[in-house]
Formats: sequence, C-alpha cells, structure tokens
Amino acid sequence: MTSRRWQTARCIAFFVFALLAFMQPVRAVEVVVNSKVATIRLTNMEIRAIFTMRLRNWPDGSRITVFVLDDNAPAQVEFSKTILDMFPYQLRRYWDRLVFSGTGQAPTEVNSLAEMHDFVASTPGAIGYLGAEQIDDKVRVVKVGNP
Amino acid sequence: MTDHRKILWKILAFSIAMQWLNTCPAESDPPESMQPSGIRGTAPRTSAEPSLLKSLSDWKLPETVQIHGFASQSYLHTTGNNFFGHSTNMGSLDFTEMGINGSWRPLTNLQTSMQVVYRRAGKTDNQDLRIDFGFLDYSFLSDAEHLAGVRLGRVVNPYGLYNDTRDMPFTRPSILLPESIYIDLNRNFALSGDGIQLYGEHRSAFGDFFLQINGVYTRTEDPTLKNFFTSAMGSGELEGEPSWVGRLMYEWDGGKVRLGVTSAKANARFNPDAAEFKSSSLSFEPILFSAQYNAEKWSLTGEYARRELNVSKFGPAAADLGMIGESYYVQGTYRFTSNWEGFLRYDAYYPDRSDRNGKKLAAAIGQPAYNGYAKDFTVGLRWDVSPSVMLRGEYHYIEGTAWTSELENTGNTAKYWDLFGLSVSFRF
Repeated sequence: MTSRRWQTARCIAFFVFALLAFMQPVRAVEVVVNSKVATIRLTNMEIRAIFTMRLRNWPDGSRITVFVLDDNAPAQVEFSKTILDMFPYQLRRYWDRLVFSGTGQAPTEVNSLAEMHDFVASTPGAIGYLGAEQIDDKVRVVKVGNP
Repeated sequence: MTDHRKILWKILAFSIAMQWLNTCPAESDPPESMQPSGIRGTAPRTSAEPSLLKSLSDWKLPETVQIHGFASQSYLHTTGNNFFGHSTNMGSLDFTEMGINGSWRPLTNLQTSMQVVYRRAGKTDNQDLRIDFGFLDYSFLSDAEHLAGVRLGRVVNPYGLYNDTRDMPFTRPSILLPESIYIDLNRNFALSGDGIQLYGEHRSAFGDFFLQINGVYTRTEDPTLKNFFTSAMGSGELEGEPSWVGRLMYEWDGGKVRLGVTSAKANARFNPDAAEFKSSSLSFEPILFSAQYNAEKWSLTGEYARRELNVSKFGPAAADLGMIGESYYVQGTYRFTSNWEGFLRYDAYYPDRSDRNGKKLAAAIGQPAYNGYAKDFTVGLRWDVSPSVMLRGEYHYIEGTAWTSELENTGNTAKYWDLFGLSVSFRF
C-alpha cells in the first residue's frame, strides 16, 4: 500500500516538475533595431502598434521599417505569442485590413533570420527580431515591456 | 464625365502632386537620400559609407511602394433560386473576383492607395473594372498613443467588421459574407463613396479606440438597386447623394475582443426619364453593433443591425414608403490547425421587422410571403494550401429569398433552398 502511495506521489511530482519546466517563459527571440535608432525601450502597447503597422514613425519622426518572417515560421509564431502576446492569424488580419482598405501597408517579409539580421543592420529605422545566436554589434536589442 | 473618369482624374492629379512632393527633401531624410535616386520615391534610403557590398544590399531595400492583389473563382450550386448566375441545375461559375492594389507612402504621414477590381456575379453585377477605392491619406498626428488624419478621394465606408475589405476573399469569413448585414446586391453602394474621411485612433492600457467618419457621395452601380426604381418607373438615372457613415471600434488586448458600433445615412436619388414620374429618393439609415472574441483556436462573431429604409415619391402613385428592418448573425470559427479552419453560422434578415413572416408583403403586392425574410444556416471549411492559395467549401440551408435578386429570379422561386459553394483564391 505504501509503495503504491509512494509511486503516486512520485508520479505527481514528475508531472508537476514537467509542467514547471514547460511553463518557464522561453524568450528565444529578442526585438532588434537598426543601430542608429535612438529608442532603447518599447512598451507592450508600442511594440504592438509598430508590428500591426499603425505606428509608423520613431519619436524623431523618421520612418519605421518593419521586418517579419512568413506567418508559419517558428520564430514568427514565437515572436507573436511571447513578445506581442498575439496569435499570428491576428497579425495577418491587421495587415490585410490595412492593405486591402488602402489605409496602411504590410511589413516586409524576409526569408530567414540571417536575412532579417542583414536588413535590420542596413536599413535606417528598421525593426525586427532575432534569436540570441544571430545578435551581434551590427544590430541593437531593444527592451520590451512596461517600465 | 462618368464617375469612373472623374476618379481617374483625381488619382492622376494626386500622383502628380505626390511626384512633386517627393522631389522636395523630406523632413527627416538624411542628406544622402538626395543622391541619384531611382524613380518615384521608390529609392532606397542609402546610409553613409557606401561600398559595393553596401550598395548591393541597399538595392534590395524595401520600397515605399507596395503592390498586392488577389484572384478568386467560385462554383455555386443552388436549388430552387438563382444566386450569382444560373446556379440551379449544373451550377454556375459566374462568381469571379480579381483585384490589384497599389499603395505608396512617400512620407511617414502621407500615403496614396488605390484598388481596382474586376468582378462578375451573375446579373447582380455589371461585370466590369471599377475603382473600389483610391485616395490620398494624410495623418497630421502620429505618436505612440495617437493617430489622426484625413483621407480624400474614393474612400472605403467604415461599416461593421467585414465591409472595409469585402473585396478580398482571404479577409472574409466565408465565400459569401453574411448576407443579412453585407447584402451583396448592394455591394458597390455599401463599399465606398467619393468624398472625405476623418479618422482618429487612440491607444491606451485599456485598449485601442478607432473612430472613422465618412462624408461621401454614394456609388450607384448596383443593377438590383437600380432595378428597384426602373421596374416601377421605367428608365432613368440613379445618382449618388451626400451621405455619411461613422464607426467607433474598441479593441482590447491586441484584438482579442473587438466591439463596434456603426451608424450611417446613405442616400441616392432616381431621376426617371418619363415626365409623369417625380424624382424619387432613397435613404438608408442603419445602426449596427458588432462584437468578436478571438482565442487561439476559435473566434466567436456576432453583428446586429437595425435598418431603416425610406423611399419618397416612389412609383406611379408617388408614394412615400418606409420600413424598419432587422438583420443579425452569429458565427463560430474553429482553427483545427494553422491552415485548416471550419465555421458555423446562423444569419437572419427581416427587411420589415413588423412583417417577419412576409404575410403583409404578400397581401399588399402579391409577392410570395417568403420574399419578406431570409434565414440562412451555413457550415463551411477553409484550407490555406499555402500563404497565397486558399480553398473554401460551404453549404447553406436557406429559408426565404429576401437577399436574392429579382433580376436573376423571374419565374418560379422556392421558399426552402440550398446553396453549395466551392472557391479557389490566390493572393500576392
């Protein structure tokens, strides 16, 4: 009887442990900007407004150029869910609503994170996201979150 | 000049003005951007330290001009009544949509956009090219919390959740929009108008607010709308009249909850050729409430409209007609995977809410009672084969014919009918 109870307890402990491990917030991607952009922090509201293509200029008035990957790319899904707290289909709806009512434009889609790195590094006013392994001194990481 | 011509001239004038603007230095441009550039504001912004490698990568930089488009072909098969062509018997391929969309944002606060659409939909559409929108958009306020500005030209009517992009099949919840609210027989009249739009947007920790108000001349190219007058008063001209539409939307948490209220007064006037008839005017005054909840796997959407319709000096008796109608739908969407989606919808339309079973209509003008309402139960599937290809299939079980066109249903009609649709759509 006791061994049975022990087994159950071990089983529960295992699941709790596994659950905790899964619940760890995994921030595999970071928001990056062109190194000439002055902004060092964006609030949750600002990052959403930028990636839904409704906030089009930096505080100094210069153009924001947004880079994304394909809707189904793992990094895009990760970025949408963890940083924007939105589902990828919602982002697509925002962009389509802007483009097909003429009231805005879509972000620029790139093919890979390596391409994302090069575009953000070389485009004034650019914003995108990268995994830790692609981040170097050619781009700058921007903190996201409310102060 | 025809309406289309006028618009084309406006667009042309805009583009010339834009070109001129673009030859002047933009406020925040680095001086390097004045170097030999490409054409028409598409020039990439070059930065300092030019090198061969740099200029190569600069050449691929995003442009401020974007071109998008779509094409869609549907197969519709119905029993009892025709919808978008001779859809009974063997079904119909008469529902075709194609559109091309261009936009150019030479300055961060200035954009010009245009969408040209070719559409076939049986006898309910003139099957020609039309400019669905084409305008100049200037925002005089743009910061982290606000966006405000003005649009001039042929502007889209802010109406409910789906009207703004109803052209584009990928943005609709189904092949056919819920007809009770977005009746396709009047799609041009509903979609856009010629005039001005004022817009404002406020973002806050409690959600985002969007306000749009249009003051426009309505579009009157819809054959069924014109037929309403010509069938009683002979030939004549249907022309747009000054009208307004306004919508306030509230979005919580990046669009997880969307709530909206739309109000409008849309007017048109029919000038009959025959001297014995007076000029007749139509006024449509809806108030529309919209709600949507978006979860990761599912969305729940509902809209309700109270629609008042008044027609003055109509027909040989120059009668004033008026009725208050109601329409609503409830729709549930489930995303099985990122590219498979299914939906269920119940959609109801009562042009006269004091005559929900159509009996008064039947007694007054001898039409079948089921012309006085339509109830549509729909189930459908969407498969996004790739980001640019979509297949859809849906089945409607319908009672009543209030949103079918009399142009397509001249003989016997049916109270209970089915509509089965398949569509293939492309986008770029």
